[in-house]
Amino acid sequence: MNFLSNKYLLIVLRLIVGGFFVYASLDKLLNQEAFARAIYNYKFLPDIFINIQAIVMPYAELVAGILLIIGIFKRGSSLIISIMLIIFLIALTQAYYRGLDISCGCFSLETVSQKSDIIQRIIEDIFLLIASLIIFFKSKLILNNNNNNKETLQ
Amino acid sequence: MKNKFSLLKEILIILSISIVLGFTVNAISPKGIPLIGSYGDRFAIDSSKSKNSDSFKQRGKLNKAGFYQPVNIPGEVAKQMFDEKIKFIDGREPHEFKEGHIKGAINIDYKEFKNKTKEEKLEILKNFPKEDIIISYCGSDSCEVSIDNAYEMAKIGYNDMKIYLGGYKDWKKLNYPTEK
Repeated sequence: MNFLSNKYLLIVLRLIVGGFFVYASLDKLLNQEAFARAIYNYKFLPDIFINIQAIVMPYAELVAGILLIIGIFKRGSSLIISIMLIIFLIALTQAYYRGLDISCGCFSLETVSQKSDIIQRIIEDIFLLIASLIIFFKSKLILNNNNNNKETLQ
Repeated sequence: MKNKFSLLKEILIILSISIVLGFTVNAISPKGIPLIGSYGDRFAIDSSKSKNSDSFKQRGKLNKAGFYQPVNIPGEVAKQMFDEKIKFIDGREPHEFKEGHIKGAINIDYKEFKNKTKEEKLEILKNFPKEDIIISYCGSDSCEVSIDNAYEMAKIGYNDMKIYLGGYKDWKKLNYPTEK
């Protein structure tokens, strides 16, 4: 428990998760149409929501990622990231089981995924989710333990 | 309670910024997309009742970007066109193409093709007259390179592209001619 509360560990986790999300958001920001098609291929959302997701989600990733890196709104950003990761995991898993031929839409929008790529993505996302949840729960506790008023405002 | 409230505040702020940024950039950017996309158009098998190739021989619509949109065709029509010696291009990777493709089709691996310049693309396609009907296909309706290749070709002046979404999977199911 002490290890998980170590502030250096949390900084490292924030940099990893935040950095990952900033990086992952960039290709999607620049190629919204391709990202929308990638979302379509998961056959997960009704068609009418797809473009809105393609428009907003990369920015949510970018903003949450940046905030996590610089250490502002750590709980909010780590919670949003955790929720996104859970959604990605569900989408990836159902795509895998339905045998859908998807372009993962994770980093490069061009890479067509084999089933083994999907498994790899699922494993990576599980690790990120664990890291992100640690950040969320441990950031909260640090705030509770710290009597400094300035910090509780965050 | 104070903690929960500030957490909610953080989330709302992050989401608001994302929504504002997203919609603003989308509206300004030349690569912006409509708020509601029409996926039916691009991905659905054509639902017209006709199975006659003549009704599919019309060019697609001239769209705002200045090229003629590819037209989706069902398997039976693709076969009629095959019988008329219309050319097929296969957008899959070479190893997939080698395992079996529509008889007479040429392999144009979309992943390589899309990175080429317009001149290089036209050079690759030099045996394909621009006024000809050309049919683009790939493995099935789950892969997109059939659509992607068709649009790439439409953008460089191929005004009569057809997309056979059913692809190789459908073609084999219908027992039409294949080769390795």
